[in-house]
Amino acid sequence: MRKMLPSFTRSLWLVVGFGCVSGPALADKLPRDWLDQMGAAVQSMSYEGTVIRIKDGSAEALKVVHTVKDGVIMEKVVAQEGNGLEIIRNGNEVHCILPDRKSVLVEEWNDQSTLYSTLPSSEIRFGNEYDVAIVRKDRVAGRDAIMLAIRPHDDYRYGHRIWLDTETSFPLQTQLISEGVAIEQVKFADIMLNHEIHASALEPSYSTENFTWLRQPSGHQGTVVETSWISDALPIGFRAVSTHEETLQDSAEVVTHILFSDGLANVSVFIAANSGKQALGSARVGGSNSYGIELGDFEITAIGEVPAMTVEQIATSMRQP
Amino acid sequence: MQVSAFVDGELPENESELLLRRMSQDAELRKEVAEYLAIGRLIRAEAGLAGADRLHARIAAAIDDRPADADDLPVPSTASRAIRPLAGVAIAASVALVAIFALQQTPAVDKLPVDTPAVVEVVPNVDGQQERQRQYLLNHTETSSQLGANGMNSRVVTLRFSEEVSLDEDESEQPVVLDEFAEEATQP
Repeated sequence: MRKMLPSFTRSLWLVVGFGCVSGPALADKLPRDWLDQMGAAVQSMSYEGTVIRIKDGSAEALKVVHTVKDGVIMEKVVAQEGNGLEIIRNGNEVHCILPDRKSVLVEEWNDQSTLYSTLPSSEIRFGNEYDVAIVRKDRVAGRDAIMLAIRPHDDYRYGHRIWLDTETSFPLQTQLISEGVAIEQVKFADIMLNHEIHASALEPSYSTENFTWLRQPSGHQGTVVETSWISDALPIGFRAVSTHEETLQDSAEVVTHILFSDGLANVSVFIAANSGKQALGSARVGGSNSYGIELGDFEITAIGEVPAMTVEQIATSMRQP
Repeated sequence: MQVSAFVDGELPENESELLLRRMSQDAELRKEVAEYLAIGRLIRAEAGLAGADRLHARIAAAIDDRPADADDLPVPSTASRAIRPLAGVAIAASVALVAIFALQQTPAVDKLPVDTPAVVEVVPNVDGQQERQRQYLLNHTETSSQLGANGMNSRVVTLRFSEEVSLDEDESEQPVVLDEFAEEATQP
């Protein structure tokens, strides 16, 4: 298993990467400049198109309309297969429309993430754990693109490949990479960037007049706290960036939530009183891995978009001195 | 048809009452309900909403036919944790997935007769474990997003509404189960 690439290999990879890109304008721009511009593009641009998500050999298509007006995110995502689910976001209020069940679930989303969110701000991302390189020019969704690679130095985190629109730096395609293989991919099959989005494009495709409306409790509430819990074998590059006490909805139980980050990959550790409600061992949770253990009177769960070995090491290394 | 409707919470109250009574005397029927419950779990990768837990307690009680208190929810048990490994089960942190659970399960609780004799059943606490995992993933995603991270992939995951169940858990049976379940569910 690759633990650490020799530094000369990384350097060579960077050189080869830059060498593949022709044209002075593209080569002059540094990878981090591209990523910064990508962040700004995702936050400010309007777009409409079809997104294909490929994972585990299966693909699903989503129609997406996104715009920001007066700082308010408005987004509509429509699944093209299955039951025709629609998710419509207007600011923090999100309506999930299930046409086959004639129902609408209303939720509050406290975070700012949309279908495409930004990478972490440049001041916290990419310590010494990743190389960032421009690899080549390409075409995605009928547009000229530049492919960037974010490659980890060890096996504790995933890599990323990102295809940015050459003109606007908008991410047209992204891949999550594990040991050189794309384990998840999201790409636009077609897209219109910065064209005017009419209000009607963000409205439900169905009349919801006779639908049942259900309100889901808002997201978790946390209180910033200090904790004595530490990891005594934290993978290099990770550090604790926040600690909260949070109340779980299913039981009103209070858990300690420590977020570790290497600037790009994030791992949450949840520490709860031992209740038997925690799955032990490894689990795949959506696109994430988790690992749960019992430690004395506590259940500890690490979860994050990192390889299984990372969450296992973090979970099993938690200590309370 | 009646069994699947019962498991889905679509059976009228009086028919649910009759079915519960029949189950206490009919081993074959209990087996059939148990199979449907297993099917439902596989298909939906169920979360343990409070209503769903209560429904499962009721059904499990009827299946095992042991006396107890109707208000008891599934009791955590150490042994139960190993009954169904979570590995490979994609528990989507999907708002829509939650919606599906709520719609499928919550009405069923309302329809169940409140005074139906029920029994204590130490059922596998898988539902509770999955709900806990789901909450952890949601909290993780929300907190991570405040760093400006994780949006590209994790948000897509949260938008998934389909019941992602790892095929490697039971590849041979799942397609058949899905077809049968869909057919049953669409009948009036």
